[in-house]
Amino acid sequence: MSSPDIQEITVPDTVEELLGGQEVRPDVPWVVLVWNDPVNTFAYVIFVLQKLFGFSRAKASRLTNQVHYEGKAVVATGAREKCEADVARLHAFGLWATMQKDD
Amino acid sequence: MARRTFRRKRGGALVVTLYPQEVELLVMTARDMITIVEEPPAGDVRDRLYPRAYLDPTEEKAQGEYDALVHDDLVRDRRTALEAIVARLDGVEPNSRGLVEITLPPGEEMQWLTGVNDARLVIGTALGVTEDLDTDFEPGDPRFEYGVLYGWLTQLHFELVTVLLDEIGEHGSDDVTDWPDDGPTERPGAPS
Repeated sequence: MSSPDIQEITVPDTVEELLGGQEVRPDVPWVVLVWNDPVNTFAYVIFVLQKLFGFSRAKASRLTNQVHYEGKAVVATGAREKCEADVARLHAFGLWATMQKDD
Repeated sequence: MARRTFRRKRGGALVVTLYPQEVELLVMTARDMITIVEEPPAGDVRDRLYPRAYLDPTEEKAQGEYDALVHDDLVRDRRTALEAIVARLDGVEPNSRGLVEITLPPGEEMQWLTGVNDARLVIGTALGVTEDLDTDFEPGDPRFEYGVLYGWLTQLHFELVTVLLDEIGEHGSDDVTDWPDDGPTERPGAPS
């Protein structure tokens, strides 16, 4: 390991500067999407959303309609780890789920 | 009277009633699927069974971590579910009415639900099922037999989902609370 260059130490003013100018938005939530697919039935998707997320029949039905007619719907939001866990649970039920930053 | 494949008994057990030919078909299908969920052919079937969590190609590191964390469990749970179906049905004998009647312990209901659906995912994807494609292929079509199997699995799955949907009910955590007429006109804490 090379010795650190201690000739010049500048203390960054902000966290952004500390991280080399990267955009730091730790509060940006992630979203979990369910995508339309031709195999899973309406009834099954409604059931899975009610079971996994505790949604009412009305909300689960509305989201399932959105998946079918618009191609996808956001079913959960939150921190990355929480969203990964949600995606994994949806994958276990055979739903086509992905996650992305809520930009 | 029409036969109901899935029936909830008083006390909570789920009774499954099948014709012997259906038992044979389900055991055969579940056995075939065990191999496929463990080592799916590269392409559509694998992508459908084990989709990416991250569509964004710049999230390769996160995708790798997701796979490392989740994939083996997904494979194991799928295999275990299919094995549970086989174990429950293998060697069962029909009753005096010519029907096979078995009782599922609570833990196996979800395994039947996901196991049968995984078979639908594999077969439906391999057949190239789309929203508009009917799986009633002509008898000369090479897809005929799997089309019939897919249709039967879909019906079986739908009957189970119908029972479970009925039981899970209408209500959820997002239900709107009714405020009494003489209560506050605005919700406490709501921004004014």
